[in-house]
Parts: sequence; structure tokens; C-alpha cells
Amino acid sequence: MDRRHFVAGTAAAAAALAVRPTFAQDAYPSRAITIINPFPPGGAVDVVGRPFAAALEPLVKQPVVVETKAGAAGQVGAQVAANAKPDGYTLLAHLPSMSGFEAVDKLFGRTPKFTRADFIPIARLTEGPMVLVVNDQQPYKDIKELVDDCKKNPDKLIFSSSGLYGALHLPAALFMKAAGIKMRHLPTNGGGPALTAILGNNSQVLVSSIAAASTQMKAGKLRALACFSPKRATSLPNVPTLKELGYDVEFSIWVGLFAPKGTPAAVIAKLGAETKKIATSDQFKTMMTNLGDEVGYLDQAAFAKFWDKDAKQVEAAVQSIGLVQG
Amino acid sequence: MESTLLSLAHGFAVAFQPDNLWYAFLGCLVGTLVGVLPGIGPLSGISILLPVTFGLNATQAVIMLAGIYYGSQYGGSTTSILMRIPGEASSVMTCIDGNAMARKGRAGAALCIAAVGSFVAGTFGVIMLTLVAPPLATIALRFGPPEYTALLVLGLIFLAYMSSTSLVRTLLMACIGLLLGMIGIDNMTGHFRYSFDLAELGDGIGIVPVAVGLFGLGEILSTPSHKVRGEVISPKFRELLPNRQEWGESVMPIARGSVLGFIIGIIPGSAHIISSFLSYALEKRVSKHPEEFGKGAVAGVAGPESANNAASTGAFVPMLSLGIPTGPITAVLIGALMIHGVPAGPQLVTEHPDLFWGFVASMYVGNLMLLALNLPLVSVFVTVLRIPYAYLYPLIIMFCIVGVYEVSHSIVDVYIMLIMGVLGYGLRKFNFDPAPLVLGLVIAPLLEQSLRQSLIMSNGNYFIFFSRPIALGLLIVCAVLLALSALAFALKRKDWRAKLAEAEAGEAQG
Repeated sequence: MDRRHFVAGTAAAAAALAVRPTFAQDAYPSRAITIINPFPPGGAVDVVGRPFAAALEPLVKQPVVVETKAGAAGQVGAQVAANAKPDGYTLLAHLPSMSGFEAVDKLFGRTPKFTRADFIPIARLTEGPMVLVVNDQQPYKDIKELVDDCKKNPDKLIFSSSGLYGALHLPAALFMKAAGIKMRHLPTNGGGPALTAILGNNSQVLVSSIAAASTQMKAGKLRALACFSPKRATSLPNVPTLKELGYDVEFSIWVGLFAPKGTPAAVIAKLGAETKKIATSDQFKTMMTNLGDEVGYLDQAAFAKFWDKDAKQVEAAVQSIGLVQG
Repeated sequence: MESTLLSLAHGFAVAFQPDNLWYAFLGCLVGTLVGVLPGIGPLSGISILLPVTFGLNATQAVIMLAGIYYGSQYGGSTTSILMRIPGEASSVMTCIDGNAMARKGRAGAALCIAAVGSFVAGTFGVIMLTLVAPPLATIALRFGPPEYTALLVLGLIFLAYMSSTSLVRTLLMACIGLLLGMIGIDNMTGHFRYSFDLAELGDGIGIVPVAVGLFGLGEILSTPSHKVRGEVISPKFRELLPNRQEWGESVMPIARGSVLGFIIGIIPGSAHIISSFLSYALEKRVSKHPEEFGKGAVAGVAGPESANNAASTGAFVPMLSLGIPTGPITAVLIGALMIHGVPAGPQLVTEHPDLFWGFVASMYVGNLMLLALNLPLVSVFVTVLRIPYAYLYPLIIMFCIVGVYEVSHSIVDVYIMLIMGVLGYGLRKFNFDPAPLVLGLVIAPLLEQSLRQSLIMSNGNYFIFFSRPIALGLLIVCAVLLALSALAFALKRKDWRAKLAEAEAGEAQG
């Protein structure tokens, strides 16, 4: 049995028993809060979610448990959260790819299991800038050489990704669409395998978070050609953005916190306030910077607006990928 | 070479600091528990304890977390041997002969051999890691999809050696396993296959629920129809230890398992799961008494248990020397390092020598600790067998259900396990061996993905498998194996399977 669970369960049970006689309707939260991580341990949500949960615990004075519900590239966890009781005790942390499930389902003629309307955004926690890299066996010095070569020899180069319609596939698709080029897609089953593929020259191009690729770039194994951020990344001051180069593409891997539709407004406000305290704390900032992420805190209103815009882009990317013949 | 030894000596100085010793011990202890308890695997164990390490420094954190990982490979054999429940995917093969040994009253011996084999393999892995990590890691990177495909084809050929029953039955089981492995989202096109609108089936059928159901639950369901042994086995302490003959039989399998496991462990991806399968098949192939496999062959425990330990150490090679997370567990470890501000990458050795060599040295120490921790526990674990079945078995069923649920918190997994339990019961009644089914399930998604990735890389040209040296080499090994079998068939010489069929026929009459 999961130790944290056991501890959380016992603590929650004890708290409930102790408190019941005086406050039958206790203020939120009166028991353990669960944050669903829809990806396998070690993924982007996990490394952000666990420090976040550890920081939230002392603030709400209740256990905060990260529960892994991995499956179908993050779809299973999101579906579980969408159908959870909207009482603020089940939350979801997810990535930009969350906005794409509906579009993918429609593409295949399936009824979507959930839509974006099933969730209330609480806050955006981090934002990881993306970068387009090639390995050291490629001759390309800048993005123009890459694009020119791809135009001359379409479908020659291979780009790897963490999976079809996943967080590394979507920005690559947006870039190819903007540049009017074609590369072959090598889907793998995670960010690590996608990186391994380009290092072993089984693929030549990869769109990755700067965090995941930084050590390899420093070692000279990978060369950054362009950033997907609105302005140049602090860690890569010499790498131009796609915007500068004339391609209208922006993309980042963010981690956001969501609650199921119907969660009381007071609960959302409480969670939003506590999240702000954590996201603006120095300790959390240091941890995220070390991970190569940047704390990209957006409060509820700002995140909701951002999410609408981001989702449109994700849907456009899914449509530009379309159905894959295999 | 000399500088390596100097660095290692420095590493030992780091590892022997009281704090670091304590965290290595803690990691090994938790790892042993994680290994013993079915369901909670090393991956969830490490990620649950990740926040605990925020207060430590980077060296302590990685020493403790890595201890959980390699420690869990020690404990994983325990439930397999005693109750036929594989705690992790890598201990499936230990169920077969380990449990058969336990039935013969040699549970203590099996546990000891597993612990010692793990120790030898773990230490061998660390020595190799110390000496040859950087050059090996570069070669491992050349192991792309085509090489993977060839390796898995070799795995499929080894399937024939997996089972103690007839070849036809083995292949039938393997086919069912391969078909079950087809369930889930097609990674290349995104189509759901055989998922019946259940999102939970999107990632396919997990290995743990199937293995626990087929081996553990199937075993329990079929027990009431056996003649129940009246007496409880209560071995004396001396009988707990392996005898001279058992030691002798386990030396070579441990050696072969260590080398094979380490090589497979270096390969990026999920190859470490198949290390124990391949080791089992290899032992059976080279054994002078292949008919003993499945009936308590010592080599069937020693080989796979050594292989999975060496593989877990091998997995650190690409992580430490290249900074690539080749699997989810190394990804969590790299994440832990990064949170502490230590970027894992090719410069780790030069920029943080304290951490690198301290970590390597701590694994030597950790393996010793695990041996000291596990050998005395053998007598404790064996007493579990003294609990009467009427009390023990309901407990085991509960363990199976909780354990399988914990893997990904999915009730669908529990149903899969229960269905597989009933299937396992039926298979036992009709004398089918479930091991090839599990191997088929492991191989199918890997083989499909790497085959199709290879064809994407070559634009549909199958010549890619023959133009890359490693892939070609593996395929030549496959061809030689098949040719040898065909030759034996052509010469009408009876091989061990024919002998086995005769033996079985004799047994059935008797």
C-alpha cells in the first residue's frame, strides 16, 4: 500500500473523527485533497506537482496527495477528474495537450469523453519554453538552412516526439505548417525516448522543452536553432525566436491546476489564494528554476483567458496533423 | 585506470560519511519493502519519497532514491518464490522454478540463491559501471528501433524454450499473449484497438495485473482441488541454506545472468523487463537437464534474478554518463538531481565528482547492506509458509487486489487480474504454461512499435534491418538458432523436447 495514502487516510480519518462533534459543516478543506497526475511518475506534471503538493500541505493544514492515474496520454486521468465529485477534494494538474483530446476525438468520429467546459481553471503554475534542436551530425547553422533543405528534400528529415498529438508533436506540427515544410514523424512513448532518438541520430530534429535538452545543448550534442517563446529565453540569449524569424508560432509546456465543473466558487478562490502564495515563494521558484522550468503563475482570470487562446492553437495543431495513415 | 581508482577511493570517502551511509541504508530498506509488497513498484516508491529528499543535499537524495530502485530488485523475488505472486514484471520468471523449489521444501535455498545472485550481479554491474560506463553508453545510443526489433525477434525465438510443456502449447500461449498485447491506442495513428470504449484500455493491458492473475490467483484457485498437504514445512536453520549441489548449480547461471542483464540494462527503453525472460530461456537452452525447468531448477531462479539486478544497474549507465532518462525510473532520479540544482548530463563526472563517485561507491556499500538485510530475513519470510492455507490464501487474494489497484489506481486493472485468475485456473487444469503468454504480452507492443518506427526511419524499406551492423548481427544469431533447430529436426535426432514428451507420457501413465 502507498505509504502516503495510508498516512493521508489515517490522518484524514483522525481529523474527521476529532472534529465532527463541533463542526459538522467544516470550512474547506476538512480532509485530504487529491491532485490527480494523469501521466506516469517522472513526467512534467509529477516533478511540478509533488513540490507543489508538499508546499500546499502546511497552508491548508490537510494532507495533499498526488495520485497517479496514468493512461492514454493523459486522457484517463483527466476523465477521472472530470467525473469526480466537484467538492474541491479532487483536483487535476495537466499540460497543454489536455485541450487537444476533444479535437482528436472529433477527428476520429468519437464522442468526446470530456471537453474543456468540464473543468474550471484554477491557476497556471509553470511555463516551460520550447526549443527546436538538431543533433551534432546535422549541418544546419540556422533555421533558414533547415527550412531550405526541407523544401528541397521534403520528408527527408525525421523529428521525434513524445507521442502522437502529444506536447512535443503539437509545436513541431505548428512550425511545419508555418514554414510550409514536411518532415517525417517518429513517435516514441515519452520525452526521454524522444531525446534518446535524436541523440542516437535515429531522428534529426526535436522540439523539446529547454529544461529537458539543456545539458545536451551545453555538451554540444544538440544545437538549438529557434525558440518557441514570445521573447528570447534567458538561458539561451543567442537563439532567436520563431517570431523574430518570421514564423507566427508560439508554444510552451505549461502545468495548470484544474477543478471539475461545479466546484463551489469559494473553494476555487481559497485554492487560488493558496496557490498564489506558493507560486510566488522563493523556495518554489528555486526548485522550478533548477528543473529548467520557469514559474509562470497566472491567476484564475488570466489563466482562463490564456487557456482559451492556447486551446485554439492546440486544436489548430491537431487539425494540421490530421488523421495519420499508418 | 589509476585515476578511476583514485576517484573511486574518493567516492568511498564520500559514501562512508555517516549521513550518506544512513541514507543508503534507508533507501535499501525501503527498496526491500517495496520489492516485497506486490503492486507498489520501484517507480511509485521513488516518486512518493521524492518530496522527502527536498531537505537533503543532492548526493544524499540520489543515494537514497537509487537504493530504493536496486533494493526493490532484491525483494521482488520473495513473493514470487513463496506465493507465486510476481511483485514486479521482472520477477515473473522467478515464480516458476522459485515456487516449485518452495514446494519441495527448498524455499529458504531459493531465497538465499536469489539474494546472493542479486548481490553478485549488482556488484558486477557497479564494477562495470565504474570501468566502462562512458564508452558503453555511446554504443548504447546506437541501439535504435531497428536494433530493438532484431533483439525482440530473438526474444520471440527464445519463446520456444520458455515452457516446460509441448512446443505447440507454448506457441499457442505466446500467440494469445501477442494478441492481448495489441490492445490499446495505436501509437502511430492514434486509433483505439479492442478497447471497447474504455479509456483505461488505451495504454493496453498491464503486465502486472496479467502476471499476478495468471500466476498468483490462478494458483490459489486451483489449490482446493489439490490434495492439501497436512504437515506444515518447518525447516531447520541449516536446511534454509542452499546445499553444496545447489550452490554448484547456481554459479554459472549467476555469472551468465549478470553479464546478460547488464548488457540488456544499458539499452535505452523497457528492455530490462525482458532481461529475466531471456536469461531463463538461455539457462534452459544451455542446461544439461532442461526437463527440470518448471519443476524447481536452481538455474531457473539464479539466472533471472541475477539478470534483473544487473539490468537495474546497467540502466544507470546512460543516465550517469549521458544524462538521458531512458526509462521512467531514471527520469525521476534525474528530476531529483535537477531539483537540487545538479544537471545530469555528460559533464556530471567533471562538474560534480563528489556526487558521481560518491553515488557509485554507495552502490557497492548498498549491495552489501542488502545482502546483510536479506539473508536473515529469509528465515522470517519462510515462516509465512507455516500459516495454514485457509488463512493465508484469503490474505494473498487481498494483497493481489490491493497491489494491482495501487499500480495505476485503476479498477479496470483489478477486473483484468480477476479474469486472468480464472483463465490461469483453466490453463493449469489443462496443463498450459502461462509464462509464454506473459512474454508475448511484454514483447508485442515493443516489437510493433520498434518495427514501425524502423520503417518510418527507412521510408518503408525493410533493408534497414540488414544495413545496420548491430541489427544484422542479432538477426544472424536468430538465423543460426533456427538453422540449428532445423538441422536437429532433419537429422531426426531427438532433442530435449522429444525426450520431455516421452517423460511426460510416462508420468501420465504412472
